[in-house]
Amino acid sequence: MKLHIKNLVMIAMIALVTIGGTTSCGSKKKMAKKEYEAKIEQAKKDLNAIINDETLWTLEEQKARVDEIEKADFQNPEIDELIVKAKEKLNRKAAEEARLAEEERLRQLEEQNKMKPVASLQDYFAIIAAAPDAETANEKIAEALKMFASPDVPVLIIIYHVGDIIDYDAPTTAERYLNYIKDQKKVSVGIYNIKYDNNNKITELELIKK
Amino acid sequence: MKKILLALLFGIFFIGNTQAQELSPERKQAVDSLALEKVRDLSKYIKIVGSKETPWSEANRVIDRAEELFAPDAEIGVSSLTTNEVVYYKVRQYLERLMRLNYDRVEIDWYKIEYVSDLQRQPDGTYVGVITVFQTFKGFDKEGRLIYQDTTKKDITVYVKRKETQIGGRLIGFWDVLLGDMRVKETTL
Repeated sequence: MKLHIKNLVMIAMIALVTIGGTTSCGSKKKMAKKEYEAKIEQAKKDLNAIINDETLWTLEEQKARVDEIEKADFQNPEIDELIVKAKEKLNRKAAEEARLAEEERLRQLEEQNKMKPVASLQDYFAIIAAAPDAETANEKIAEALKMFASPDVPVLIIIYHVGDIIDYDAPTTAERYLNYIKDQKKVSVGIYNIKYDNNNKITELELIKK
Repeated sequence: MKKILLALLFGIFFIGNTQAQELSPERKQAVDSLALEKVRDLSKYIKIVGSKETPWSEANRVIDRAEELFAPDAEIGVSSLTTNEVVYYKVRQYLERLMRLNYDRVEIDWYKIEYVSDLQRQPDGTYVGVITVFQTFKGFDKEGRLIYQDTTKKDITVYVKRKETQIGGRLIGFWDVLLGDMRVKETTL
């Protein structure tokens, strides 16, 4: 009888352990499935946000997220399709950003180039006026003329400007004006306005009497 | 009565028109300065052409620029302490002669460049004035000795007219300054 009770206790314990273990394993699986589904949902949500431009992430962060989802390999056809779309979207965005960056770089370069001739043209005026001899002055004139679209570019000199009234000296050309500075050995004008062509060469120079 | 009325109307129109074309003192000052500057430019050109150190090609280029300052047919008077007579040359002829003067070194300086007669508006819209200059001329031989020297007072008539031209698709109003005859007034040592 004593043995029988002992056996019954043993069986009960085994049953308890078995039932308990089975229940715990099922719950873990349930948990994992829920987590997996949540991950899939989050992945879909993130991919759609990327595709529809509804995220505040940077382009790099978006790329990293798409890579992460791809590596997770959810074996989900919908996610696979979204990954393709998101990658296409990111490639387009990267190309657009590169284009804008290039445009900005060119714009800044153009600004710098525009600023540079203004300063150096005024410098050339002073250098030509102070040249010790005609030969040196002529070398500098040749250098300065490279800034112009042609030696015949018009040079206008404002002698009077009040309101709408603008009086000019007789129009001259770039080459003649630079030679004039050489001959007169003085610069009595400031640069008022410069017009450029697409090659960043001066096409019209407006000076004003100081 | 009708004639008086017409004369009055004409008078009012004439006065109004003249006033409309009158330059403000500041604007007139700018035009005066421009004409004076052209004479100063000429003084520099004459110095360059006269200098024996000026390369031939440079002297010829400067002669072209100097000639452009003058009205066509303008003449420049040349005097000498030795002859007492004044000979007038066309501008180019004067400048080419100056370039070939028979000295080893020449010094020409202009000073007291100023108006003796202010620019006055003429009926055709041209402003005419007279600017006087004093010129000292010194000629040296190859030993550096002063051979000849004189000081000449010269009067230059200036003509200034407002003109318009198209540049880069816009209308530019500019003052065209032309120098007229350069008359010798007196020559002293």
